[in-house]
Amino acid sequence: MLEQTLNFLQALLDQTGAVNFSLGNLLMIMIGCVMIYLAIAKHYEPLLLIGIGFSCIVANVPGPADVPGGPAMSALLYAVRDGGLFHYAYMGVEKLIIPPLIFLGVGAMTDFGPMIANPKLVILGAGAHLGIFVALLLAKLMGFTLSEAGAIGIIGGADGPMAIFVAVKLAPHLLGAISVAAYSYMALMPMIQPPVMRLLTTKAERQIGMGEIRKVTKLERIVFPLVIAVVVNLFFPPVAPLITMLMLGNLIKEVGVTQRLAKTAAGGLMNVIIIILTVAIGSTMAADKFLTVQTLEIVGLGLVAFLFGTGSGVLTAKIMNLFLKTKINPLIGSAGIASVPIAARVSHVVAHEENPKNLLIYHAMGPNLAGVFGTAISGGILLALLGAG
Amino acid sequence: MHAIVPDTFQGAVIVSIIDFFLSFLIISGIGVVLALFPLLNRVAAFLNGHTPGHGTHGRLKDAANAKSAHEDPLLPVAVISAAVTAMLDGAPNRVVSIMPVQGTAWVNEARMRQYGSHRLRR
Repeated sequence: MLEQTLNFLQALLDQTGAVNFSLGNLLMIMIGCVMIYLAIAKHYEPLLLIGIGFSCIVANVPGPADVPGGPAMSALLYAVRDGGLFHYAYMGVEKLIIPPLIFLGVGAMTDFGPMIANPKLVILGAGAHLGIFVALLLAKLMGFTLSEAGAIGIIGGADGPMAIFVAVKLAPHLLGAISVAAYSYMALMPMIQPPVMRLLTTKAERQIGMGEIRKVTKLERIVFPLVIAVVVNLFFPPVAPLITMLMLGNLIKEVGVTQRLAKTAAGGLMNVIIIILTVAIGSTMAADKFLTVQTLEIVGLGLVAFLFGTGSGVLTAKIMNLFLKTKINPLIGSAGIASVPIAARVSHVVAHEENPKNLLIYHAMGPNLAGVFGTAISGGILLALLGAG
Repeated sequence: MHAIVPDTFQGAVIVSIIDFFLSFLIISGIGVVLALFPLLNRVAAFLNGHTPGHGTHGRLKDAANAKSAHEDPLLPVAVISAAVTAMLDGAPNRVVSIMPVQGTAWVNEARMRQYGSHRLRR
């Protein structure tokens, strides 16, 4: 009787995931909890971190084995595999459907006025991309193939959709790790960037004020997406799908006669995509797949890329100051790594802490938006040189 | 897929150097194009100066200066009235006159409220 009862209890236990729970799962659940904490308590990109953090937690709660004697599967992994709820969501990432749609939404909610108004600051959009190449070279030294190294390096562009786009083309098997690293670091930029920015600047430099910039007319705003779309399609076909959608989104915002479309692209559509994307990314963070040496190397290289990108952006601004009559605040240089508008906000907040009268957000948005193009250009050249164009 | 550069460390260095400097060059080109954008306004103004009001030139002027439906001239009055009502906690009031303030204090304050939402670690 006792033996029979114990057998029943064992059979019950075997149908739960408890027996498959590992220390790796615990670690990943803690990481997911930290993400949610940072989103709620510190307001670090809650739109991204809540979904990624929650999915990371659920992906690490093991369920019973899919087949007798097989590996444990979390409920979320059931949902992600063939025919599952999020299977098609993940296919949207894998088949490059979601990244162009994100760019459409970003274009519809972005004011390119600061970039048009102050063209000299667009240089910072290239200067802040040194991190891409530092990570690429380190990855090559660590034994990755050149295509894999290129896909890892583009994390340093701090542009999630572009990182996904390049990863799918160059190293699709690394998509999960690269997208997790890119989006996690983007969300954590308010923690990563300020120490580097303060290290490379003096207090006097951080307090440099920047005056008003000229007003951009509606005609310029309408012509801008048309010109950029033509130029990118002409010279950078590998990344044309993303930038074209970015420009289409911006055009429907600026023309003033398609508010319904702009509102949908920047609102409802974007929100749906964010939910799908964050769950798709978080669901790749199961301990058995994520806690591998290769993934940890990629995450480490991503951090190096962000640090060097931030530093090179600040240093580029300092070099520009050697030639400019009216000095610019070098803190806006770090905004040159894409990640709109997170990096610009970080520049603004750090400068504002140094000098409460210093409001750099509008100035920082120029290099920040240029950073989107900088990443696209770097990604496009990588794809062309590495044979995936 | 056919890579142009060899899969070696030397290849990685070549890719990095070409990509980094080409990015600078191309971004600078975009900067030069953007620096020419103010000319668009001059061209529009020039064309409008010749045929004001109607036709293609008139439409250019409209495009340069058009106000969307959201830019109703009465909208600022409604917004300011709402702000005053909120500040006075609902007490009766009447907006007598509205004039632009000198300087950018209010604009800066609004931008700061809108964007300065991150609390950074020191």
